[in-house]
Amino acid sequence: MPSNDLFGAEEQTLAAAQELIESGRFADLADGKHYKALVKDYQKLLRATRRLMRLSDRNEEQLNALTKEQRHANELIAQKNKELDALATKLSKYLSPQIYHSIFTGAQNVEITSSRKKLTIFFSDVVNFTETTDKMESEDLTNLLNRYLTEMTNIALEHGATIDKYIGDAIMVFFGDPESRGLKEDARACVRMAVAMLKRLRELHTEWLELGAEQPFHLRMGINTGYVTVGNFGSNDRMDYTIIGSCVNATARLEFHAETDGILIGHETYALVKDEVNTEEQKPIKVKGFAEPLRCYKVLGLYDDLVNEGSVIREEQDGFRLLVDLKKRDRAEAIEALEAVVARLKG
Amino acid sequence: MRDKLDIDATSRTPAVVFDFVNNHLKISGESYPEDVTEFYRPVFNALDEYLGVLGQGNCRFDFELIYLNSSSAKAVMMLMDKLEAAAAGGATVDVYWLYDKEDDTMQELGEEFGEDLEAAKFHLEKMAG
Repeated sequence: MPSNDLFGAEEQTLAAAQELIESGRFADLADGKHYKALVKDYQKLLRATRRLMRLSDRNEEQLNALTKEQRHANELIAQKNKELDALATKLSKYLSPQIYHSIFTGAQNVEITSSRKKLTIFFSDVVNFTETTDKMESEDLTNLLNRYLTEMTNIALEHGATIDKYIGDAIMVFFGDPESRGLKEDARACVRMAVAMLKRLRELHTEWLELGAEQPFHLRMGINTGYVTVGNFGSNDRMDYTIIGSCVNATARLEFHAETDGILIGHETYALVKDEVNTEEQKPIKVKGFAEPLRCYKVLGLYDDLVNEGSVIREEQDGFRLLVDLKKRDRAEAIEALEAVVARLKG
Repeated sequence: MRDKLDIDATSRTPAVVFDFVNNHLKISGESYPEDVTEFYRPVFNALDEYLGVLGQGNCRFDFELIYLNSSSAKAVMMLMDKLEAAAAGGATVDVYWLYDKEDDTMQELGEEFGEDLEAAKFHLEKMAG
C-alpha cells in the first residue's frame, strides 16, 4: 500500500525505479542510460511540483488573508459611512433641505461667497407672542412653539421654500434660490404657502387652547419680491446661508404693517401674482432706505379658493377675461354692467 | 473495522462523514488546512481500511467542496486514486462531485478529476438549493 503522505505514491515509484537502476538489470546500456535520464527528469518534475504546490498554497493563504482584511476594511468603511450618515442627518436639521442638498451633492461650495438674485421673500411673526404665552410653563411653551414651527415648516417645504431662519417665533423663508421655478411661479408659490399657513393655523387653534394658551395664536405675514444678495455670510469657521439687502428689510416692514391673520405683499410680488390672487391695495408704507413709500396690497384670497366658496365669479379664455368679486360689488350692479357688455358685443 | 469516521468542519477544514455501515462517504466544506498531510492522514487510513475489505461491494463517495487549496487538491486526487483502485479491483464505486451552481471553477475542477476515473463511475452534479 502506498504511503499516505501527499507525494508518498510518487516517492514509492521513484524508489522502485532507483532500485531497478541500481540492480543493473538493463541488458542494453543505452536503454539503462535513457531510463536513468527519465528517472532523473521525474525526480526534477516531482521537486518542481512540490515547490509549486507550496508556493501556490502560500499565495492562496496570503490571498485569503488579504480578502479577510479587505472584508474587515469594508465592514469598517460601511460602519463609518453609517455613522457619517447619522451625523449628516443630524446636521441636516440645522439646514434648509435645499441648502443641505446643494452642499452634500457638491453643487455648492461651503465658502464665503455670494451673488445677486431676484427672490421672493417671506416673513411671518406671531402677534403678541409674549403676552399670549406669558402664563405658560416653559415645557408647554417649547412644545407649542416647536409644534407651530414644525407645521409651518412642513407647509413651507411642500411649497418649495428655502428656510432661511427662525427668530424665536418668527419665520423667514425665500423662494428662487438655490432652486427656482421662474420668478412668477416662485412668487405665486410663496403666496399660496402663506395662505396655506393661515388655513393650518386656524385648524391648530383648538389644539393650542387645550395646551394652555389663553388666546389662540394669530399671525402677520409679509411678502416681497426684489433683488437681494444671497450666499454664505459669516466667518470661515461659522457661516450662515442667508440673504441681505433693502428688499429683506422692506419685507420685514410689510410683515409689521400686515393686519392680524393677514398677508401684506409688495408691489412687485403683486404684479407677479395678480392673475391668481385677489388683493386690495393698502395705504403705502414708509420704509427706511426707500425714498418713496412702498405700495402694498392685502391678500384677500386665491381666486381658485374664492371661486369654490362662491364669492368670486371668474371666467378666463384666450382674449376674454371676466372677474366679478361679489364681496366688492353688488350683484345687481354686476348684472347691469354685464348686460351692457353683452349689448355692445351684439352690436 | 470501525463503523464511522466523523470529523467536524472547521473554518479551514472540511467535514468528513464516512458512514461505513451504509457505504456512504462524504467530504464537505472548505479545505485549506495548515498541515494538509496531518489532516488527511486519518482520512486516508480510514478509507484504506474500508476499501481493503469492500471487495465486490458498493460504495458511494460524495465530494461537496466549496473551496480547496492546491495541497488539498492533491489530497482529493489521492482519494480518487484509492477509489479508482477499489473499482478496478471489482467494487462498484460511485463518485459524486457536487459543486455550487455559481462556481465555475469547482465545476471545471470536478470535470478534470472525473477524466482520471475509468473503473469508478463519476457523477458531476450541482449542489441542492
